[in-house]
Amino acid sequence: MSSPLFERTVTALLQERVICEVSDDELYNYLLMPGNQDAVNRFLGQINRTLRQTSARDAFVCAYLDISDAGTKEAVRQQFRDVANNLEAFVQFLRLVMMLEANDRPVLPGDKLSEGHMLDRIAAAPALESRLRSLAEKKVFQTKRSDSAGQIRAVLSSLEKMGYLKPIGTSGSLYRATGRWSWLYDAMTFIQTHEGIQGAEEAESEQMRLH
Amino acid sequence: MARAQDAHSTLRALAKYGEAILEAHLRNGNRIPDSDDNLGLIETLEHHRLVWRIGESEDLQLKKVLVQFLDHITESERRRYASAQVHILWQQLSELFLEYKEAKKRSALSDIDRLEGEIKECLADVIEDIRNATEAFATYINTGFAYITDLNLRIRENERVIERAGRLITLFESFRIRELAEQAGSDAFLKRLLLRHLPATLESSQKNLSYALNQLRKMLVRMREDQRLSRMVGAFEAHFVNHPGFEPSIDHLDLRQIPEFLNTVAPFQIRGFGDIYDSADDLELIELAAKARTVPAEPESVEAPDNVAGVSFDVAGETEAEENDPVEEAIEELIQLLVDGDLGDRTILASEALASTGLEIDKADWLQAVVSEIESLPDDDQKQIEVIYHQIPHRIYADNVMVSDLTLRHNHAS
Repeated sequence: MSSPLFERTVTALLQERVICEVSDDELYNYLLMPGNQDAVNRFLGQINRTLRQTSARDAFVCAYLDISDAGTKEAVRQQFRDVANNLEAFVQFLRLVMMLEANDRPVLPGDKLSEGHMLDRIAAAPALESRLRSLAEKKVFQTKRSDSAGQIRAVLSSLEKMGYLKPIGTSGSLYRATGRWSWLYDAMTFIQTHEGIQGAEEAESEQMRLH
Repeated sequence: MARAQDAHSTLRALAKYGEAILEAHLRNGNRIPDSDDNLGLIETLEHHRLVWRIGESEDLQLKKVLVQFLDHITESERRRYASAQVHILWQQLSELFLEYKEAKKRSALSDIDRLEGEIKECLADVIEDIRNATEAFATYINTGFAYITDLNLRIRENERVIERAGRLITLFESFRIRELAEQAGSDAFLKRLLLRHLPATLESSQKNLSYALNQLRKMLVRMREDQRLSRMVGAFEAHFVNHPGFEPSIDHLDLRQIPEFLNTVAPFQIRGFGDIYDSADDLELIELAAKARTVPAEPESVEAPDNVAGVSFDVAGETEAEENDPVEEAIEELIQLLVDGDLGDRTILASEALASTGLEIDKADWLQAVVSEIESLPDDDQKQIEVIYHQIPHRIYADNVMVSDLTLRHNHAS
């Protein structure tokens, strides 16, 4: 006897979707039950895959059990390539939102983003306008629009297509951040460690140690 | 009468300058800056002996009586100090009980009465302050320290509040209610306060406090994670600025060391065939099959741009007459003549036939076309025609022959 939720959950996971409360609340709730996690894992295990949670434990993803195979390695490498190629654009976007919200923390799953609100803030600060322009020139967000409204719309709808945002309502101007951000932060943390990228605070303390 | 008038006048002054006094109490450590703006306020408060100062150059300070009154009316402030207040009150209560015990030993009835009253008031204050102290923590949870914009300061404040909550829990645990209750004597009201109201308040406050402490700790973890992420974004931003065109390297990535949750799978489509082997699905499959054929949509009429000439499309069923090729017609006539045997035993030279048509065509092409046409005839018709090649071997390449003409006649032998 097949279960519709089981089928939908497994299909979504195998389609590389990040399942979180925002993106698929029904599937997310299904996966929160340990029994359901076991059932999904038993199935995935037979095809060299497994269920994983992001380190913030707010999203589920499907991962390979064994990545020794060349094809699997290439698939994983491709995941990182996608992040690496667009990382600068993502970092710029996060910084822009932090500046717009006058907040010290970056976008987190569940956060609400309003196109109108962002536009109002940008209109009031020319420095932010030039940041947005630079962001809209990045390959991943590229748009021919030269006005701020068009540029914001292009950026947000690109993020929606990539699964980082989910629209709220029908206006198309309100979004909620999904659990994909958590995965991105995990990937960034890995890259940061791997590449030895230091923040200002770490670099400062390093200098102090040397002196 | 004069006293009452003075009191009225003081209360009116407090009402008139209420906002400035509250501001001094809540935000300025009970100090009133000695400035021209505050001239009226200072004169009035000095007149009513509600301020004091050490030197002429110092700011004025609200007097203790007024501060106590303000403490009483501003509950929020009291909450902030409630935990310290509970501690003080509890000590007072313990002292009062000691005096009460002493008074009872000496049978000093008037002192017993007085002390019972004081103990009741002090106990009521303790109960109220315990409630206030725990409510203050609920406020912190509700606001999430949003009133502090800087994340570092917010984290520090959260840590301080956690420490305070921890201290309060320790304080509550140190209360020895039963010991006090034993000293309460026969006063029913006092016993009720000590054995029922105080333990009930303490129990619910401890419960609330434990919950608050747990929430505050969670909040602190989240804030520290936010801080880590914020620093990471900052680090990447700085790195991109300092290393233009930087892209994290992928090629030398050691995939054995990546965290498990990062090796996410590539998209994997799950598809299957419709089950045409199970008759149970027949009805649904028939319906799907009926709709499966894609019918090309009618081309929508699109207005042609001005600079494009009109385009006419073929109409289904329309035929267009193809112009006849005169060479082909002439050859067909010639062949028909030969096949039908209308020439009898006579022969005809291909070159003469060409001359009679009046066509301007190269002789070699004509000869080639005649031969091709004959060879393409059905076998029976082909046999009706005898072709004699006028040919000579090539001077140099003897295997090749040079055809100059063809003699054609009806083959009676066929």
